[in-house]
Amino acid sequence: MIEDDIYRTSSQFRLWSYTETSLQSLRANTNAAAIERVRTALRRAREAQQSTASSAVGTPITSQPGSESEGRGNEEKEIDCLTPEEELVFVRYYCEQLLELGETYKPPLPTLVRATAIQYLRRFYLSNSPMTYNPKQIMACALFVATKTENYYMSLRQFADGIPGNTTTEDVLAPEFLLMQGLRFTFDIRHPFRGLEGGAMELTAIAQGNGQPAPHMVHQTPEDLRQGLMSIAPPPVPSSSITDRIGRAHGTTREMLKSAAQMTDVYFLYTPSQIWLSAFLLADRPLTEFYLDTKLGGPLTSTTASTEDPNNNLQNPLYDLRTKVLAILNDCAALLQSYMPLSSDPAQMKNLKRIAKKLYHCQNPEKVNLAAIQKRGSQLPPSGAASSAAADSGPVTSESESDRLAKKRKLDREQKTRNADPFGPELVPDRTKGH
Amino acid sequence: MSATSGVARRDEDEVCPVCKSSRYLNPNMRFLINPECYHKMCESCVDRIFSSGPSSCPVAGCRKTLRKNKFRQQTFEDIGVEREVDIRRRVMQVLNRREEEFDSKRAYDDFLEQREEIIANLVSGIDVVKTEAKLKRYATDNVQSIRTNQALEVEESQSFQARMTLEQEEARLRRQAAREEYENERREMQAGRNDFLLRLAAGSPADAAAIAREGHKVLLKKSSARRSEEDRIRQKQAALRGTDVKRTASLLNTADTAGTTDTGLVKGLRKIKAPEPEKPYDPFDGMVPEKHDYYTLQDYYPSAYLDKIRKDTRMQAGGYDLREYYSRSLMEAFAGLGVSIAEEVAQRDATSMLGRSKPASTESAAMAAVGNTVASENAT
Amino acid sequence: MAASPFASRSPSLTISSPNTLRLRASTAQNASQTSVARRPQNADQELTEQLNDEVRQKYVKDKRLGEGTYAVVYLGHLKNDPSSSVAIKKIKVNAEYKDGLAMDAIREVKYLQELSHPNIIALHDVFSSKDQNLSLVLEYLPRGDLEMLIKDVNIHYGVADVKAWMGMLARGVWFCHENFVLHRDIKPNNLLIGSDGEVKLADFGLARSFADPNYNMTHQVITRWYRPLELLYGARQYSGAVDVWSMGMVFAELLIRIPFVAGNTDLDQISKICEAFGTPTEENWPGVTQLPNYIPSDRNVPLQGREFFLRQFPIAGPVGAELLMSMCALDPRKRTTALQALRHSWWTTEPKPTKKEDLPRKAGGDKKMGDDLTRRGGELDDSTFKNAARQLDFGAK
Repeated sequence: MIEDDIYRTSSQFRLWSYTETSLQSLRANTNAAAIERVRTALRRAREAQQSTASSAVGTPITSQPGSESEGRGNEEKEIDCLTPEEELVFVRYYCEQLLELGETYKPPLPTLVRATAIQYLRRFYLSNSPMTYNPKQIMACALFVATKTENYYMSLRQFADGIPGNTTTEDVLAPEFLLMQGLRFTFDIRHPFRGLEGGAMELTAIAQGNGQPAPHMVHQTPEDLRQGLMSIAPPPVPSSSITDRIGRAHGTTREMLKSAAQMTDVYFLYTPSQIWLSAFLLADRPLTEFYLDTKLGGPLTSTTASTEDPNNNLQNPLYDLRTKVLAILNDCAALLQSYMPLSSDPAQMKNLKRIAKKLYHCQNPEKVNLAAIQKRGSQLPPSGAASSAAADSGPVTSESESDRLAKKRKLDREQKTRNADPFGPELVPDRTKGH
Repeated sequence: MSATSGVARRDEDEVCPVCKSSRYLNPNMRFLINPECYHKMCESCVDRIFSSGPSSCPVAGCRKTLRKNKFRQQTFEDIGVEREVDIRRRVMQVLNRREEEFDSKRAYDDFLEQREEIIANLVSGIDVVKTEAKLKRYATDNVQSIRTNQALEVEESQSFQARMTLEQEEARLRRQAAREEYENERREMQAGRNDFLLRLAAGSPADAAAIAREGHKVLLKKSSARRSEEDRIRQKQAALRGTDVKRTASLLNTADTAGTTDTGLVKGLRKIKAPEPEKPYDPFDGMVPEKHDYYTLQDYYPSAYLDKIRKDTRMQAGGYDLREYYSRSLMEAFAGLGVSIAEEVAQRDATSMLGRSKPASTESAAMAAVGNTVASENAT
Repeated sequence: MAASPFASRSPSLTISSPNTLRLRASTAQNASQTSVARRPQNADQELTEQLNDEVRQKYVKDKRLGEGTYAVVYLGHLKNDPSSSVAIKKIKVNAEYKDGLAMDAIREVKYLQELSHPNIIALHDVFSSKDQNLSLVLEYLPRGDLEMLIKDVNIHYGVADVKAWMGMLARGVWFCHENFVLHRDIKPNNLLIGSDGEVKLADFGLARSFADPNYNMTHQVITRWYRPLELLYGARQYSGAVDVWSMGMVFAELLIRIPFVAGNTDLDQISKICEAFGTPTEENWPGVTQLPNYIPSDRNVPLQGREFFLRQFPIAGPVGAELLMSMCALDPRKRTTALQALRHSWWTTEPKPTKKEDLPRKAGGDKKMGDDLTRRGGELDDSTFKNAARQLDFGAK
């Protein structure tokens, strides 16, 4: 099918589509690598602290954040780190926050911008761990980059002012390069929203008797199509007219695409057309099945289906494709249906708090101050392969004194906020209850 | 092909031989024939008998099976001529060798004579079975050359047509230019004469002859200057076209590799293969525009939300076109519907792994030996 | 590249990739899996940094081709294939621009990652360099651009050559529109020429996707001489027709070898267009007076017809002149689309388009590519400045 080949050329298919297994193993690898690095970094911090303490007593370094470093320093056992599943829950929470953050702007940021930002965040955390880069630091940047790539231009200042709390422009911009690198410089996200509009438009045309048959179903007349649509099984919720029914299914689907489709793995595992049709299936199954039949032919009649007749194929040449597509849509629909917003579920919220507490102990200390790292990166070559030998001594020792002080201040600030609430203050007022 | 009886029958004064209705009663009656047996009948008989599928010819004694789509109007009054023209056309389509394909003029003439003989045989029903078989074998053996020559013929007639229209258009433009030039010249001449008269009226009688001479010279100079300018432009344009002609002319000389193209039927063919006909220029370069598998794009879709855009003149004046939105949203509604990521990505991963271990490039082979390679050596 | 997803294109959408360098990034998951295993060698590098280094180390920079305010362009090659050539465009961080990576770079990367067509410059890879600058690895196009051929008086070309170039341009534009991308900066020096003579649309710094209703777009795009009247009048919703106008202007320029409507200011451009093609009115362009920056014209020139185009562009022939006229319709709704243009009978009327390998060529195109890729979108070349820049010698030949 031509439309399928066109989709195959997209970067979303070429670089960002996975099987369930490959997605899982990728996340496991990322997690394992991050754990190793967190442990090395913590050990290094401990050693550095011990050596400075013994060689230069009385320097300001001794006033290191007390509880945190001591807790780690005294620990002989390896620190307990997040599992891939815990990382996923944690990232998802920030995806939900992103949706809310977009709502705080006046006017609210378009759905497309927010959805793109969420997908950026999800893609970024396939090869990065929250233990290395806290999503709290990345999410604003993801949203800002999305305003640029989705042609919803606003200045950085304007954008930063729109974020509740005292986020600076530097905070927003610091992880930009890192984020883009994690996105492998592919900015185009193929969303299911526009496809839904197309489908709803075509169904409305059919309802009005103006529908055109699909290229492989040329025998159907607009009147056949209209009759077919009129005779489908009643909707889950009674509606006054067929147009009303289409409108209702459209509305339900759109809400699902804004929430469940963004928060689950469907973008990695399915194509946009499959995603909207799966959501449509959940909204109104008879309507969706009718629509698919107009494209791929109907099911076999009971008499021919039961017999092992090789002529079955003659009846509908697209039969195999139809079977395959329906199976895919059902799988995708099940995944969409499994979604429940974290904030509306006390059990999930409790779990989230637990993860946040755990992360507090296993956050990589060398990556906390992104602004400083970014600044350093633009002045000095980062630890690329060419300079990896030089970098063996570790970035902590190669840091300039001012940078180190800046980092310490930042750490102190973080420390304070963490002590107040292990999860940190809410970025935006909680509005998810409406879901 | 035993149509002799059909040929013998003459028009029976505008009466359909099958249903016997006459043109007198039905002045719009049309007669059709079928090249299978050339029996004539009226349009309504054809509709009546053959609409539900192939059937045998209703003329007594003729048992040919006829199909409705083969019926057509007669071109020549004489059914015999009609039939000969059909046969000729069919044979010439197969035996379509061109003069430049033969070794000598003589060989080409022999070929032409042979072709006439075949046509004559088929027309008069001599050795029909044998001749048809020969023709058929030749057709299957020489598919490539037949197709090539057909394409060349089409191309020639098209470019002839194009040249004719171009020349006509140019002639028209030339005529127009000449007319304009004449008009201008006349106007200038008039103006010059007026000027001349004025000066004559103002000046002394002694100057009169000098003024007259001078005025005449200026007018001449002007028109000849214009003429040479136009000649120059015309020459320039001719030169531009000339380069194109040269390029196509050199095409025929590029002979491809030799191959024995002698067939059992046609003798004396040159031992070189005719050059591949240049593929007709495809502006889309192999891509098929506006082709979809899941939907048929319409010019209008109902949507209350879009109605206000349809009425927004400012938006329309800027060129915003809702059809582009329809096209995009329908494309996105179905792009990738039949793609099974689970299958295709798994397969892609498998093949790309295989690809890496191929020794096509040593460095990517090193990449496959995961684990203990030095990072800087890797490049994929 | 066994992993190339382009291998699976159906015949109905065959896109030949004549360049042997189809270097699309290998699939993410494989690369990351393998690099995880090598982790101990450079434990200080993040996974994404490693992936980036892998891409960067595929290429070697050879010489500098050009430098502008916006970017530096290098000639380079694949490390494991010294005979290959690529252009590496390193985008400079703009010190005045405080909002992160500039829109030009974002647009160029975003759209080139998605568009793969013989008449659109291929983006092989993107990587970041040590100083956090972005580098685009682009197809190397050594034969300069159309502007160079138009301006060189020593090069003679005919209508068959123009037809070949226009055909390639129209295909590229059609493919962009088919993928719902507007280029918004079509002009002769953004039409680069590959070693095989293929014309390629380059510089997507002003490109954006289109077709959504109620989205405002900027009207300050497209270099002035190639900008259509609806943009000069400040339209905020427009269509593929804007690129078609630019195509028409390139067509005219190829025929007469000077820019056809070259205004000194935006206002001058408007009056020159009206003088050349006619004055827009509510009759010939309904709604035109409602466009934000519409200015009534003091002179009223009637819309030019077929005769005008035939007289101005006799070389194009009657059919070619008609195609040009359809691209130059003032009312964007009446203008031909890229698709309709490709269906025009001009392509199949005599003379045939020249085969791309027979097209006129000129040496020194690599420098020209360097110049073209370092320019910022929408800028008119100031010829005095440009000539000076050329004398500065971007790496000896």
